[in-house]
Amino acid sequence: MANPISGNPLQPSSSPGVALDPEAGERISEFDATKARKQSTLILRRFFRHKLAVASLIVFLLIVIFGFLGPFFWSVSVDDATGGRYETPSGAHPLGTTQIGKDMLAQLIRGTRLSVQIAIVVALGSTFVGVVVGAVAGYLRGFIDSALMRLVDLLLVIPQIAVAAILIRAFQGSWYTVALILAAFGWMQVARISRGETLSLSAREFIEASRASGAGTPWIVFRHLIPNMIGSITVNATLAVATAVLAEAALSFIGLGVQPPDTSLGLIVSENYSQVEERPWLFWGPFVIIVLLSLAVNFIGDGLRDAFDPRQTKVRA
Amino acid sequence: MIRYIIRRLLISIPLLLVASFLSFLIVGSIGDPLADLKAKPGMTPEKVHDIAVSMGLDKPLIARYFDWLGNFFKGDWGNSIALGQAGADVYTSVMQALWITARLVVGAEILAIIIGVAVGVLAAVKQYSIFDYLATSAAFLMFSMPVFCVAVVLKTYGIRFNNVLTSMGMDRWISTVSPASGGFQGSFGEVIFKYTGTYILPTITLMLISFAAYSRFQRASMLETLNSDYVRTARAKGLSQRRVVFRHAFRNAMIPVTTLFSLNAAALFAGAIITENVFGWHGMGQLLVASVRGRDPYMLMGWLMVTASLVILFNLVADIMYGILDPRIRLG
Amino acid sequence: MSIKRSTATPLAVLFVGAALVLQACGGSSDNGGGDAGTPTNGPGGVAAGEAKGEVNKSEYTAPKVPLSNDTFTVATDNPFTTYNNQTADGNNSYNTFALTQVLAGAYLLDGNNNVLLNKDVMDSVEVTNKAPFTVTWKIKPNVKWSDGAAWGCHDFYLDWLSQAGLAKNGGKPAFSAASTTGYELINKVECTDPNTVVTTFTDPYPDYKGLFGVSSDVLPAHIVEQQTGVADITKVKPTDSADIKKVADFWNTKWNGFDAKLMPASGPFKITGFEQNNSVTLERNDAFVGNKAGPAKIVLRGVSDQVAQAQALENGELDVTSSAQPDANAADRLRNLSSQGVVFGAKAGLSFEHLDLNYKNKLFQDPAVRKAFMQCVNREALVEKLIRPIQPDAKPLGSLLFFQGENGYVDNYAQYTGKADEAKATLTGAGWAPGGDGIMTKGGQKLSFKISHTDIPRRKQTVELIQSNCKAAGIDVKDDTDPNFLDTRVSAGDYDVALFAWSAAPFKSGTQAIYSTGAGQNWSAYSDPKVDQFFKDAVKSTDPAAANQLYAQADKQLAEDNYSLPLFNPPNMWSYKGIDSVYFQSYNGALWNANEWVKQG
Repeated sequence: MANPISGNPLQPSSSPGVALDPEAGERISEFDATKARKQSTLILRRFFRHKLAVASLIVFLLIVIFGFLGPFFWSVSVDDATGGRYETPSGAHPLGTTQIGKDMLAQLIRGTRLSVQIAIVVALGSTFVGVVVGAVAGYLRGFIDSALMRLVDLLLVIPQIAVAAILIRAFQGSWYTVALILAAFGWMQVARISRGETLSLSAREFIEASRASGAGTPWIVFRHLIPNMIGSITVNATLAVATAVLAEAALSFIGLGVQPPDTSLGLIVSENYSQVEERPWLFWGPFVIIVLLSLAVNFIGDGLRDAFDPRQTKVRA
Repeated sequence: MIRYIIRRLLISIPLLLVASFLSFLIVGSIGDPLADLKAKPGMTPEKVHDIAVSMGLDKPLIARYFDWLGNFFKGDWGNSIALGQAGADVYTSVMQALWITARLVVGAEILAIIIGVAVGVLAAVKQYSIFDYLATSAAFLMFSMPVFCVAVVLKTYGIRFNNVLTSMGMDRWISTVSPASGGFQGSFGEVIFKYTGTYILPTITLMLISFAAYSRFQRASMLETLNSDYVRTARAKGLSQRRVVFRHAFRNAMIPVTTLFSLNAAALFAGAIITENVFGWHGMGQLLVASVRGRDPYMLMGWLMVTASLVILFNLVADIMYGILDPRIRLG
Repeated sequence: MSIKRSTATPLAVLFVGAALVLQACGGSSDNGGGDAGTPTNGPGGVAAGEAKGEVNKSEYTAPKVPLSNDTFTVATDNPFTTYNNQTADGNNSYNTFALTQVLAGAYLLDGNNNVLLNKDVMDSVEVTNKAPFTVTWKIKPNVKWSDGAAWGCHDFYLDWLSQAGLAKNGGKPAFSAASTTGYELINKVECTDPNTVVTTFTDPYPDYKGLFGVSSDVLPAHIVEQQTGVADITKVKPTDSADIKKVADFWNTKWNGFDAKLMPASGPFKITGFEQNNSVTLERNDAFVGNKAGPAKIVLRGVSDQVAQAQALENGELDVTSSAQPDANAADRLRNLSSQGVVFGAKAGLSFEHLDLNYKNKLFQDPAVRKAFMQCVNREALVEKLIRPIQPDAKPLGSLLFFQGENGYVDNYAQYTGKADEAKATLTGAGWAPGGDGIMTKGGQKLSFKISHTDIPRRKQTVELIQSNCKAAGIDVKDDTDPNFLDTRVSAGDYDVALFAWSAAPFKSGTQAIYSTGAGQNWSAYSDPKVDQFFKDAVKSTDPAAANQLYAQADKQLAEDNYSLPLFNPPNMWSYKGIDSVYFQSYNGALWNANEWVKQG
């Protein structure tokens, strides 16, 4: 679901009018390795000062470890359905069993992994497409710019959740189809932001210099423009993770998301929400992970924003 | 202003046109609406073919698109071809669903803006106070929660609340499903009682979700304006805090929020889809889900065209409000 | 559970033509009477599933019940869509759920699928000639539609005209009828007087009781006459193309939507309100010829989420819930409400799930593989986890041709208890040996195959359970969920193992087409001369008992071949509060006896 905190062109830090620290930008563009490292150390140091963001990073990493390394520590197979129906939590099944007798903990580990995979594919995919489209449009201007921006307008007009539901119904919901579909219809805001930043960057001397020295468009886009937008790109990619987790959950709830035998946190929650009173352990596990995951990612995004753009720290608590 | 609106509306016609083509391709991928029919005993392939021909499904996609488009301009949005739907008229179905959703969404959105903006302003003025922290955590929590969880929890507690009411000898107030046909009857007081009881849960659900966005946004932009030079100047002039906040900062801080209003349109629909499904409202959300399940191409086209037009409209409204709030921007 | 549970299963559209399943599964689950979780005795003093106005399980007259001002709100999975439920695009069982109280027919069904002659409107129905097979339907005088017009032979005539498939328009059937079963065998309908219908058949049709009421509704012919300008419908022959076109155009579409003028009632209730995708309102039909209905008003609404139905009942917004797409979580919830006076019921439905092994796949030509697969499927666990949460006394189905409780039913698959060791032993005995990954192999061939099915959650869970259990036997089962599986693939035999449901067949003779060599619905290339012979003899047999015996032998032989494994009957479920006796009729839903409902408590 569109999460208005993320990918918003009006977010003060990423609006076209407010460029990055001009000095920092120029230093990177000169490709002075030591200075660039200094810059990134500075950002990291700023990020690690942000306690909530650091705590969130730890939570996020723990969730990732749970999802990806969980199977090494919890040996019950995710496909093993030999348990009883809805067993209460016990040593053998710390979170009980599902309706058909599968171990809930194993389900949760698998669901977490697939949800994280979906979220990361969506974040990387939509960010990559969005940034490239935005940078190309903003740099080349003219016809290509208007064509690409009309495409963005066009895709923004059609509600993402509806298109995703239709396409998932058409192409079956394994985790990667869901991820690709969400990415394919989730890059437009990023494109707008990147275009805005590119417009202001293109006017600067180092881009003109590079162009004058005969660099081609791909070179300028990938070596100059994108590295200089890395701040907003990272922030938006982070926030896209949170959006994707929730979008997947929403689609799963209406039965048009990930389909079994694949599973996801959204699917597990929507299968068990009616158990919230009777067998709360089935509901709260996946629910808490979803909330923690998107909370953590939102806070990390916040921390990164502050780290990349220290002038905003005052504004954002 | 009028000229601006007309021009904007004219620009959106080609946009809608291309969107309709794209939508048709997407919808066309969804598969055969007659699939279930073929699995029916006694249904021969010839019969299925006859039905497909009578529905125009034998033609290539492009030809069907232009048929559809031609009829669409004539005001004929087509009929449902999903099984068991008895050829329901698309226009009537979509408009009826839209009306139901609109009743739900408009109230929730207004509440969300009022409460969200108020909380945002307060949180910014009293930055780092307990109120600020509470508001911030609440907003972040709402952002990070799947909508249906909010709805489901509200529903559970709604039923418990009713049980408390009945134990005190009162009528049950809160409904968990949409009103049945026929509207509300009884005295004025009873109608209000039933009306609020029916709307309360879905409205709160939708409101909470939008509220989070508005309060965060309002707080951020309010802080920015409060820290800006002209507000500092106003303060330096010795104006009272209230005057500074409301006369100077508030108006400017509203500008970004209007844009959120337009961006929020899509999110609002997404939220409504889930909320309607939890509370059994037969609005746009349920129509979408049912049409996707029934692989009902024309119903989906009608749905997509209406929502696309609404998104465009929302954007236009936001731009106009932008112009009203920010004197630097001239529409024309 | 979430909304995805509520996909219309193919079963929902399969109901037409299944009219007289009656004998096949009458009382299939209520015979013993000891259904735990099912109200065996309605508080009204009638047995479960029996109507108050029922006599000898063969006749029905609407009983005298106190007329009340009560409104009952009833929920079911999907909303009502059309008054004419006979069209191909409108037909679905959820329309019948409302129309069962609105449109009277010659016969009706009680909760146990006994066929009852509707004595409120009919005097008698008799077979008056064997060759040609002729049935004479005598209608009571003075039966009226709610708008005052007479209900009689011309309405029957329209029913036949529209559904016999004889009327053509440009070489194609003029009426887009959902089904022509039965009517296509009638070559002549004569109205010897307005209240006597004589139908002459081309072939004997023992299931005639399903016509004109049970499998299709008798619609108002006088409305068609008024609207199309055709003076007398009974004078319109299937070949009168001009009149046929007018009538067909009206019949195909004009009863869609809602217009009270076009939609009179002949049953105890009339339709007075309709909100698309939401609800239909029925009010007592004061012009009904029999005893008037008790409740003043019934609102039937579509609530697709069964848990939401349960919550709404708990919250007092509904009086009755009913679902043909049962959900275990909703069942749990409803059962827990018994202290609040909620009565919950569940009963085996009319279809059965089964696994067909495709002989076109080389793997399944090996009898050991077929046997081992059946040995590793734990049907008991399937029923325990998927069905019993809803219907506690459910048992695995042990026959492809008989329903549980039916005369002739034997559990032919009792030896298959889902023990992976047995399956493993069968395989090793036939020369299979586990490979490095634990999967059995023989001659370089891995024992791995797919189970194909449509995207219904219960089927996915079925496959997951089978996968889990068969893995231990070294059989690798893959899940192949395909929403279009029943569309093209199943009839093309494009599967290893097919998981789907057959709805209850009207006649056992119909099953010949499924299990005989080369027959139309035998998509797995299954062939056994013995089975073929049993079917041939059974179909020809004029003695029902002898035929039953032959079917039982065919059933046994089918089991020995290990071709198709029956699993279970998915149940229907319902619940109610504050009404004396509600029961879910497998075809007609919860409202079949709504005219008899009396408020309680």
